[in-house]
Amino acid sequence: MAVRVLLVEDDPRIRRALGLAMLDANYEVLEAATGEQALDVADREVVDVVLLDLMLPGMDGFTVCRELRRRGDLPIIMVTARSASQDIVRGLEVGADDYVTKPLVASELSARITALLRRSRPASQQVPLVLGEVEVLPARGIATRRGDDLRLTRTELRLLAELVSAGGEVVTREQLLERVWGYDYFGDTRLLDVHVRRLRRKVEDDPSDPRLVLTVRGAGYRAGM
Amino acid sequence: MVAFGVSAVAVSAVFALVTWSLASQYLLRQREQSTLIQATSNARVVDLAVSEKDPTLPQLLTGLVSTPDSAVFVRLGGGWLSSAHAVDRVEPVELPRGVLDAVHNGATARQRVTIDGAPVMVVGLPMRRVAGHYLQVFPLRELDRTYRFLSSTLLLGTVMTGLLGALVGRWVSSRALRPLTELNDAAARVAAGNLAVRLPIGDDPDLAPLARTFNGTTESLQRRVERDARFAGDVSHELRSPVTTMVNALSVLQARRAELPPTAQQAVDLLVTDLTRFRSTVDDLLEISTVDQGRSELHCERLDLVDLVEQSTRSVRGGLRVEHSGARPQVLADRRRLERVIVNLVDNAERHGGGLVRLAVSGGEGRARVEVDDAGPGVRAVDRERVFERFARGSAARRELDDAGSGLGLALAAQHVSLHGGELWVQDRPGGGARFVVQLAQAHAGQHVDAAEGSQ
Repeated sequence: MAVRVLLVEDDPRIRRALGLAMLDANYEVLEAATGEQALDVADREVVDVVLLDLMLPGMDGFTVCRELRRRGDLPIIMVTARSASQDIVRGLEVGADDYVTKPLVASELSARITALLRRSRPASQQVPLVLGEVEVLPARGIATRRGDDLRLTRTELRLLAELVSAGGEVVTREQLLERVWGYDYFGDTRLLDVHVRRLRRKVEDDPSDPRLVLTVRGAGYRAGM
Repeated sequence: MVAFGVSAVAVSAVFALVTWSLASQYLLRQREQSTLIQATSNARVVDLAVSEKDPTLPQLLTGLVSTPDSAVFVRLGGGWLSSAHAVDRVEPVELPRGVLDAVHNGATARQRVTIDGAPVMVVGLPMRRVAGHYLQVFPLRELDRTYRFLSSTLLLGTVMTGLLGALVGRWVSSRALRPLTELNDAAARVAAGNLAVRLPIGDDPDLAPLARTFNGTTESLQRRVERDARFAGDVSHELRSPVTTMVNALSVLQARRAELPPTAQQAVDLLVTDLTRFRSTVDDLLEISTVDQGRSELHCERLDLVDLVEQSTRSVRGGLRVEHSGARPQVLADRRRLERVIVNLVDNAERHGGGLVRLAVSGGEGRARVEVDDAGPGVRAVDRERVFERFARGSAARRELDDAGSGLGLALAAQHVSLHGGELWVQDRPGGGARFVVQLAQAHAGQHVDAAEGSQ
C-alpha cells in the first residue's frame, strides 16, 4: 500500500508541483493549505506522515505540530528555512520527528520519509528493556514507567531503546543519529540534543538533573544503569 | 606641540635678553656711580692728607682699601704711592693708559679692565690741593658674579619655559585635537565596515555640527547597506517559491525522460542544469544576505577538525582521505557552517581547480588549519583577494561551464570563516596549483560548549 503523505503548504503552486512529484514517486498525497485544514484532514483520513511547513498563514506550524502531537504519535517532518536555527530547535521541541530545509525537493523528501517510517517498525530486539523504573516494550511500541504509558513518539522510543540496549556504554552522537534517524546527518546536533531533552522530560523524575539519560561530554550519551 | 615649544622659547629668550641688557646696564651704571662717588671722596681725603703732610699717609691709603682686590695709587710728582696690598698685586704700569692720560689732562676718567685675570674698574681723578693724581682700582668680581648668576638664571628660565611650553602645547593640542582624533578613529572604523559607529555630539559649538553630519552620514549609509542586504534577501526569498515549483515539476519530467522525444530530452537536460545552478545561487544568496543583515547566529560546539573534514567530504567521490600528522586539533565552531566552508572549498577545487589533490588538517601554536590543494593553474597574486568576492568569476565565464556552481561558494566560505573569527586565504601550492587555507583558533583543553545546552 502506498504511503499517505499529508502535505501542509500554503503556496498552491509549490503544493501542486511537489504533490505531482511525490505522486510520481508512488506516494499518495493529501494536501492542506492551512493549519486548520491540516488538523481536519489528519482527523478524517489515515495519514502515515505529515510534511509541515512552519510558515503558515493563520495557525502557524508550531501550533499545528503541538496539536498533532497532543493527538498521537503521527510522524512529523517539518519544513524550515535553512538558516533558521531557532525555528528548527523550536519545531523539534514541540514534537517534530525530523526536519528538512527549503526548498523542498521530492527526491530528498522521499529519503527522509523512508527513514522515518522504518522507525515505526518494531526494533530488532523484542525483549523488554529495563532502565530503572522505565520499561521499553518494543513489541508493543511503547515505554512505561511504573506501568504507565510514557506516550513516547516513535523517535523518542527508538532513541531510548538504542541507549538502553547499549547497556550503559557510551553511544556516540554519530551512532545515535545513524541508528535512530537512519541516514547520514553529518552530526546535526540539534536533532539529537532536542530529542534527548524531550525524552528526559518524559522519563526523568527531574529533567534538570537526569539520572537515566546521561550526557557524556564531547562523546555522546549513555543510559544511567 | 613643537610650534608651541619653539614660540615659548622664542618669547622667553627675548624677555631674557631684554632683562639681561637692562639689568646689566643698570648694575654697571650703579657700580660706576658708586665707585666714582667713593673715589671722589677718597681723593678728597688723600688730597687733604697730602696737603697737610700727614705722616700716616701710607696707613691712610691702606685703610681706604676695603678688600684685597682693590688698590689705591697716588701719583705725586714723578713717584707713586700705593696702598699696602697693592704692592705685590698691581703695578702702576698695569694701570690703563687711557685713564692715566685723561687724569693727566685734568679730567676724571674710569675704565673697565682685566688685571691678573680679574675684572676691575679703574677710576682716576686729579687732586685739587696738591698736584697729583688719585687712582683707585675697584674689584668687579661681585658684579661679574651677579652677571653670571643673572645670565644663568635667565638661561635656565628660558629652557624651562621652552619645556613647559612644549608640555602645555602638547596638552592643549591633544585637548583641542581630541574630537578630531575621535572623528578620525570613527571614520576608520566605518571604512573597516562598522557602520554602527556614532560620535558623541558634545557641546562644542564648532564641533557639534561636524559630529551631527558624520552621524547622519553613517546612519544613512547604514540604512542603505541594510536596505541593500534586505533587498538581496527578499529577492532570493521571493525566488525560492518558484524555484521550488520548477525543481519539483522538472523532477517529474526528468523521471520520465525516457518517454520524451530526443529534442525534449535535450531541453529537459538544459533546464535541469541551469535550474540546479539557479537553485544553489538562490540558496547561497539567501544565506549570505542573512549574514549581511546580521541575523545569523553561530551555534558553536567543540569539534574534532579531522572528523569534521572527513564527514563534510563524504559525499565527494565516496569520501576523501584527510592528511594529518596524528595531532587532532579541536575547534569551537558551528558545525553546519564549517562543513559548508569545507564543502565549498572542495567544490571549488573540483569545479575550477582541476580537481582536488590533497586535504590536510594541522594544528599548533593555538591555531588549527585546513588546507585544500588543487591541481589547477593556481590563483594569480593580483586575484587572491578577488576570488573571495561574490560572483568573482563573472557570469559569462561561469556560463561556459556546464556545472559552474552558484558563484557565491568562496564568498560564503570566507564569510563563514570570518564569523568564526578565523581567516581564509589562497596561496601557491608547492609544486603548482592553488592551496586554500582555513585557519581557526584551536579550542583550549577543557574548553567545551555542551551542544545540548549550547543550542538553547
